[in-house]
Amino acid sequence: MASHDVRDVLNLPAEGAGFRPAKKQKTAVPRPNLKGLAREVQNLGGDNPIAIVPEISTFKKRRFGSRKPAARWEMRPFHNSARADGSLHLRHWRRRTEGQSGAQSQDGQDAGEDKKETEQKSEELDDSGFAKFNVQVDVPQYSEDQYNSNLTNNDWTKDETDYLFDLARTFDLRWPLIWDRYEYSPKLPGGAGNGEGADTTDPNTAVIPASKVRSMEDLKCRYYEVAAKMMAVQKPVQYMTQAEYALHGIMANFNPNSETQRKKFAQNALNRSKEEAREEESLLIEVRRIVARQERLNQERRELYNRLDYPHTEQDINAFKSSAGLQTLLQNLMSVDKSKKRKPIMEANGNSTPTSAQPPSAHPGSTPTAENSHNRRESIAASTSGSAHRDSIGGGERPERPTKKGAQPPERKKLTEQEEQIYGVSHHDRLSSGPTFRYERINKILTTKSHAQHQRITNTLAELDIPSRLNMPTRSVVEEMEKLLTAIGLLLDMRKMNDKIDAEIRTEQAKKAEREKALAASQAEGGAKAEGESSSQAQGKSGDKGQVNGNKPATNGEPADKAANAKTNGEEPATNGTTDGESDETPDAMNDDEAEQVKEEAGDDRASRPGSSGGQKRSASVLSSVSDKSAKRQKK
Amino acid sequence: MASQQPLPNTQIPLDVYGGDEVSALVLDAGYCHTRAGFAGEDVPKSVLPSFYGHLKSTNSDTSTTTYRDIFGDECLNPRADFEIKNYMSRTESVVEDWDAATKIWEHMLIKRLQPDRETHPSKNGLNDPPEDGEGDVAMEDVENQEKPLAENPLLMTEAPWNAGKAREKAIEIVMENWGCPAFWLSRTPVCAAFAAGKASALVIDVGGANTTVTAVHDGMILKRSIQKAPVGGLWLSQQIRTMWENNDPKIDVIPTYMVENKTPVDAGAPAQAKLRKFPFEIAPSFRTYEEERLLTEFKESVVEVWRGPGRYANPGNEDLVKTQPGRVFEMPDGSNQMWREQRYRVSEGMWDETAALPLPDGSKVQTIPELIKAALNAVDVDLRPNLLGNVVVTGGTSLLNGFNDRLNNELATIYPGVKIKLHAAGLTTERRFGSWIGGSILASLGTFHQMWISRKEYEENGAGIVEKRCK
Repeated sequence: MASHDVRDVLNLPAEGAGFRPAKKQKTAVPRPNLKGLAREVQNLGGDNPIAIVPEISTFKKRRFGSRKPAARWEMRPFHNSARADGSLHLRHWRRRTEGQSGAQSQDGQDAGEDKKETEQKSEELDDSGFAKFNVQVDVPQYSEDQYNSNLTNNDWTKDETDYLFDLARTFDLRWPLIWDRYEYSPKLPGGAGNGEGADTTDPNTAVIPASKVRSMEDLKCRYYEVAAKMMAVQKPVQYMTQAEYALHGIMANFNPNSETQRKKFAQNALNRSKEEAREEESLLIEVRRIVARQERLNQERRELYNRLDYPHTEQDINAFKSSAGLQTLLQNLMSVDKSKKRKPIMEANGNSTPTSAQPPSAHPGSTPTAENSHNRRESIAASTSGSAHRDSIGGGERPERPTKKGAQPPERKKLTEQEEQIYGVSHHDRLSSGPTFRYERINKILTTKSHAQHQRITNTLAELDIPSRLNMPTRSVVEEMEKLLTAIGLLLDMRKMNDKIDAEIRTEQAKKAEREKALAASQAEGGAKAEGESSSQAQGKSGDKGQVNGNKPATNGEPADKAANAKTNGEEPATNGTTDGESDETPDAMNDDEAEQVKEEAGDDRASRPGSSGGQKRSASVLSSVSDKSAKRQKK
Repeated sequence: MASQQPLPNTQIPLDVYGGDEVSALVLDAGYCHTRAGFAGEDVPKSVLPSFYGHLKSTNSDTSTTTYRDIFGDECLNPRADFEIKNYMSRTESVVEDWDAATKIWEHMLIKRLQPDRETHPSKNGLNDPPEDGEGDVAMEDVENQEKPLAENPLLMTEAPWNAGKAREKAIEIVMENWGCPAFWLSRTPVCAAFAAGKASALVIDVGGANTTVTAVHDGMILKRSIQKAPVGGLWLSQQIRTMWENNDPKIDVIPTYMVENKTPVDAGAPAQAKLRKFPFEIAPSFRTYEEERLLTEFKESVVEVWRGPGRYANPGNEDLVKTQPGRVFEMPDGSNQMWREQRYRVSEGMWDETAALPLPDGSKVQTIPELIKAALNAVDVDLRPNLLGNVVVTGGTSLLNGFNDRLNNELATIYPGVKIKLHAAGLTTERRFGSWIGGSILASLGTFHQMWISRKEYEENGAGIVEKRCK
């Protein structure tokens, strides 16, 4: 019977939900590692350990037997080679060496000591390990003759110079100490005759002349002067090594005045008041911040320069090494600079040339300036944003500039077509700033077209089974697509032309048939028609003008068109019967479209076939457009 | 096993601790205490007051008076015909009485540091067979006895302004009387700087008799920077005496030895104690010495230094202190009193000349900030910032509560633009025995072996060598 059965019977809640019998407490205490009988006794208890287990604590036996005898130490005298006298034998504790201990064990204590002493007398004493730390400053020395020939100074006697060098040697060139202990009292004139003994003038008996108060700078100046001269005497300047020469230069050029000045400043800095100190501290923080910012800026600039690949010149730069060469280089650079400045305007002009093929009268009044300004702005932006980049990379790439100027030689190796393809190098006349998507270029072509044309292009693409949106717009695909689109455009134009001509042929045929019908009856009507044609042409022109100049080009143009249409309609009522209704029914947007289309076509016509009669062409275009629209409506 | 092999001298690592003990002794004499011990230890083994007892004993039968000097604190008890003297000069902190100095130093270096060892039975002369009935053997022992310190080099400290004559006298005593193999004289500020682990420091030593401020550069004092003023422990005692004189119930200074028994009384109540009667006259010098002990206890337990900022005399500070809990001090006779603002007032004279209580002789002392200023003005400008970054405070009186805080504040006020760092040992013993500890370090260094003036050098050059060597 399992426990849950019992629970069931007793109506107790399921296991885990209610009380659980407390788990058997584990003996957390690790069992002591017992041995022998004690362990057996412990095991008798099983899980419930017996509280008291006899435990015999024994101390570990020391293994005296295997121990070596205690090391013997001795007071051993030693000498220090750094000492001048060498006779001082101090004693320190050192471990006794083996040979001596052997001797020790053989003899008795006293005899051993005696022997040791004799041994030590014979053998060399240890040298102190600290003797090597005795380093001394090398202070220059000079002889009497050297002093007289090189070192004489009005301000310093030889005696005082000797005193100074003595102090310098004593204090190892610690100038604060030298200055602190500098108490030179000049020898008496009579005392000088006494020779060396007069060095210690007795202050009690001798009258001491007032000695000069020497500043630390005076002392240093004299010392460096002498040291530098002695250096040059021992080793002429031209044979000195780099380090020696530098040292010589420093010592020879010691300027006590600037040093005094510096100390004065230091003194002032020390005597600042609290406010001044605080102010200076804040200024310092400010300066540090500025410097840090400058540093960061410089680093960024450097990074930028590194990124903008500096063009390697294959030319010999020796040409620019002379001042004349530099001059020409400067001129070159300036001319390049100028050309860069002039560039955008020229580009704008270049761009405007194809559009200026249109007669200015037909050109929309506001567009050219707007276009120009746009171009300029773009190019300015380009030149500011990436001028350096363009300069460095595009030197050889833009053929028009260097060739035009002829001043700048091609700076880089020209890549062959193949290489260009491999490296994916492409040349652009002008890059708009910022990244662009390639498919947008396709879209741009499509969206700039009118809705109707767009429709027609998409229809054609659909016929060709090509999606209007490219799945994979790689560069070559886009280029091909562009080609295709221009081809489609051409095709549509051709088709349109074809339609037009067909329609003209048809009308002419119809006319001809009619004329043949009433050949004799309407002889005078032909002259009137010619008149109407010319007038309609004039009307069309005026309508275009109105469209350009007026506030509502569409509405202004429309009546003119309508009038033109009406005229032609009037002439050919039979064929253009639907046209009237069409022009009445089409909404404004359609009218706009139509007007635009008409305008475009008029422009095209003028550009391509200035000789053809506008009226006829217009009617044809209207017809073709109408035919499309009527087809659409029929579909609806 | 390898570690058991003795290392040759050249392989012993020196960079870990450049010590190489040559069992040198170090002696540091001050006006209040004289310290002696073994080099390499961190505390002097023997510290005795520089005051010693001068006992006059009259032999009744011969009617001659002999004087006996006794040394050690434990011997300075009330006795008849007992004078307390000091072998040092209070104003100069240099040795004044060379005879007493020799005796007390000998007492310390030989008796206290090197107690008589048992001679080996084969050598003590008792077991020798009587050869020819002559005492020739014993004469060698006498020879040995005469040069008790023949094995120990001795390093002594001296005040930085110690005169050349005194220095020569010192080396004469050491070499002639004790037969030391080597000797060195070191200046106390240098040693104090070494004790703080610095070779260059501005040492402010606030001792018992004097306060000195000295600049130490690369282990040598700058003589022009030495500044000394009596604002030390004894001056402070004088301030306390003045304060007690002027206290509302005037406090009589009754040292402990005079009190036989006492009963506890309330604060401010007159003392109820029975004073001891002595059948002999107590010398005033003894009483002064005992009074000084009482004053020292007062200084240690009650006196405090106003920590700043600003001076204690600035308005508001005293009112603030009055609100703070005071300290009760019970005199040996049982009278006790709470000390609040007074305990700041007595020490303020160290910092503020105008706050000092008038001394009986009407003299003024230089304050510690003035000393520091004067000392720093006498050193090269280039050294000053470094010195202020290494200020070593030592001396027993610098253990006054709040001393370092105040010193730091004062320095920050004088030199606002400079980084100031005080180095004051935390342990009481290290502060009290700073210069001894520095001497102990110095004398145990291996590189110092070449510095010692050896006996041979002394014999060749005479006592003047100490002037040449110990710069």
